[in-house]
Amino acid sequence: MNKRKYKLLVVDDEPSVLFTYRLLLEREGYVVAAVVSWREAVRELAESRFDMVLCDLSLEEQHSGFEVIEEARRRQPGAPCVLLTGYANVEAAQHAEKINVPVLYKPIDVKEFLTTIATVLRDTYAEAKTGSGR
Amino acid sequence: MASAEVRQIAAQELGVGGTGFAPRMLRGRAAMRLLSAERSEEIFPVLLEEIVSLGFPRAFAYEVDLESGEIAPTAALNCSKNFLKGCATSLWAGDDPVVKTLERMQPEITKVSWDKNSWYVHPLIFRNQHLCWEAERDRRRDCLAVLNSQHARKLQLQEQVCGTCDMRAYVAAVMVEVPAGMQDRLAREIPGIVELANRYLSRLFKVEHYYNRMRDMETTIGQMETVMESMADPVILTDTHYRVIMQNRAAEKFFKMPEGVSEGGARAVEFNNLLFSAALSSMAISGTEASRDLTLVDVQEGEEVLFEAVCAPTYTREGIRTGMVTVMRDVTDLRRADQELRDNLIKLQQAEEVVRQDRDRLNVVIENVGDPIVVADKGAKVVLLDPLAKDVFGVDGAQQSDPELVKNQAKLDAYLTSFTFSFADRDSGPLRLYQPSSGGEVEYEARSGKVYDARGQVAFTVTVLRDFSAWKKLEQLKLERRMLEMEKFAATGRMAGTIAHEINNPMEAIKNAIELLNGQVKPKAEPVYSILKGETERVARIVRQMLGLYRSSERVGTMDVNSVVDDTLTLFARQLERAGITVTTDLGQLPPVTGSADQLRQVLSNLVVNARDSMAEGGRLRLRTRHLRSSDGVHGWVRITLVDSGSGIPANVLPTMFEPFVSTKGEKGTGLGLWIVKGIVESHGGKIRVRSIMGQGTLFQIEFPVVRA
Repeated sequence: MNKRKYKLLVVDDEPSVLFTYRLLLEREGYVVAAVVSWREAVRELAESRFDMVLCDLSLEEQHSGFEVIEEARRRQPGAPCVLLTGYANVEAAQHAEKINVPVLYKPIDVKEFLTTIATVLRDTYAEAKTGSGR
Repeated sequence: MASAEVRQIAAQELGVGGTGFAPRMLRGRAAMRLLSAERSEEIFPVLLEEIVSLGFPRAFAYEVDLESGEIAPTAALNCSKNFLKGCATSLWAGDDPVVKTLERMQPEITKVSWDKNSWYVHPLIFRNQHLCWEAERDRRRDCLAVLNSQHARKLQLQEQVCGTCDMRAYVAAVMVEVPAGMQDRLAREIPGIVELANRYLSRLFKVEHYYNRMRDMETTIGQMETVMESMADPVILTDTHYRVIMQNRAAEKFFKMPEGVSEGGARAVEFNNLLFSAALSSMAISGTEASRDLTLVDVQEGEEVLFEAVCAPTYTREGIRTGMVTVMRDVTDLRRADQELRDNLIKLQQAEEVVRQDRDRLNVVIENVGDPIVVADKGAKVVLLDPLAKDVFGVDGAQQSDPELVKNQAKLDAYLTSFTFSFADRDSGPLRLYQPSSGGEVEYEARSGKVYDARGQVAFTVTVLRDFSAWKKLEQLKLERRMLEMEKFAATGRMAGTIAHEINNPMEAIKNAIELLNGQVKPKAEPVYSILKGETERVARIVRQMLGLYRSSERVGTMDVNSVVDDTLTLFARQLERAGITVTTDLGQLPPVTGSADQLRQVLSNLVVNARDSMAEGGRLRLRTRHLRSSDGVHGWVRITLVDSGSGIPANVLPTMFEPFVSTKGEKGTGLGLWIVKGIVESHGGKIRVRSIMGQGTLFQIEFPVVRA
């Protein structure tokens, strides 16, 4: 099993949805920070370092999940991110692909949700581990 | 006749001159000798011999050439040649005593220039006391012989042609030398004998005249026969009973029984004669020239020949009808040609009638087309304008004062010239023309065709101008209505999408919550938990499908179908690749299509997803786009064809596959995909068709209407 607990930031403007994401992820043994707005997300990113950012596309006050991802990547280049959305137009989908962000469409199959997160984390940090010799 | 009687007659006839002086024997002998003369030339020699035998030393006869007036000896006794030469004289020598005696026509003894002795001159002329039979029959009084004998008168040269029989008289003179002492004897013997000779001479002369006339007539008849024979047309001479007197060879072919003719031939000849007689008798009634058609059989050739018989009656001098001359002209070819001409005329009239009807029909069509029509010749020169076209271009050929109409004409000329000299059979193009009735400009669509002549050269061009503006307005209305439909559909979709979007987040929470309860429910509640979980997942799928209809601000406009196809395939490229599906595209040149690109993307996405799902083991997906032009050159379709090599659609599903909630995917499907596809296509005024073979694949064909602007 993982010796190290991955720390994830989850952003969704629906509190009930956010709550279930947190419970699901914590059940999987991740350390989860769950916030409902772009503002809080930016503050969280400023305070601590996250192994992964999971973010809804449409946030409050016309803010977008891409802004959160940009902030995360600004602080930590190449930070693994996943975009969660009920609906994405072509431009959004293409943009996500361009910046190498997988998109999960709500309603998200829980198994797929967890598998995607695990895969992205392993792909990112297994390489880094071998690379750093840890 | 007994010689005694002859003698008596001769004696009586000698009674003209003095009688009873000459010895009977001698006078009788002279009369007999003269009577036995058969020809007129024999009379003078006999007479001269008789005169000399009476004791006169020399005698000769003069004859007057009535044409030249020469007077020359023709017969002589005891005269030398030289003497005779000296005797020749002429009527014009008025001083000659002989000529004077001749003119007086009275015998006398006179001195002559060419001899020392006196000579007896006895002038002779053709004469008789009785009318000739011809004059008698014709009851004429101008018989020359009688005129000459009626009273002694001076010689009238110009009268010496008989008014009855055209005979020319003779004028002569008997010359007897009178030695001294012979006067008495001469007066006793000679005048009587000469007069007798003249009577015989006149009779012989008359007979010879008739003989000559007969010879002439025979010659004429011969010439006439030759003329008749040389005529190619049958000529027939008939008597008053229509019996054939004479016919030429051409006529014999029809009317004369040939030798060794067959029974049929003989009957044909008989029939010809019968027909001819009947035709003649009917023609004879008129009494003047008449003509009649007659069909006869050529016995040798066995052909029917059509004749036109022209018949003229013949009359005697007294006006008595003697028969008829019939000339027949072969008019078979003529009549045949005439009939052919008649037939051709009828055909021509019929053809003309057909053409006239066609033209009338065409005129009705042209008048009712309601669009201006222009007919131009091979040189692009306008030859015909219908009334509507005249409104726009002015009366053909007239000088235009309205500059707008001149401009219209120039535009038309430019268009016609480019079309006429192009290689295209038909063409169309826009023409913006000033409209005098409205005072504004109207956009016309000119549609032209070429009419070729028999050699394949352009003879005429016909151009119909369609008022494009009215038509365009109509098309615009249609388009607007369709766009309204699309908008309505889009609005409905947006509403469904919005609802789905709103449901989506609570759904996500519920679904996650159910998952979190997994393993924590009491065993007794497990079945309830699984219903909750399964049904929630189903609602989630429906919501997902409906979310596709959610579009925030998409408006209907024009779309480039090919780029939508590319976009959609790009979106699914990775998924398709992963599923082992190879994609090929064949995108044609397309006009823009009125509609929503996002909705089209939805359509294509649904179809691509279906195709992918039907090819679990991989396969081929082909996409093709085409522009289909309609014959009117304005409307058309854009067709998108999508073919997969998947499992196919069961036949029992095909009829209902576009209805909502019909799915072949079981738990995985919502049954909304194709329903949405159909809704979008139909709201675009389009059509969708499907063909599927189980185990081989499915073909979808979508067509969107396009209108050329």
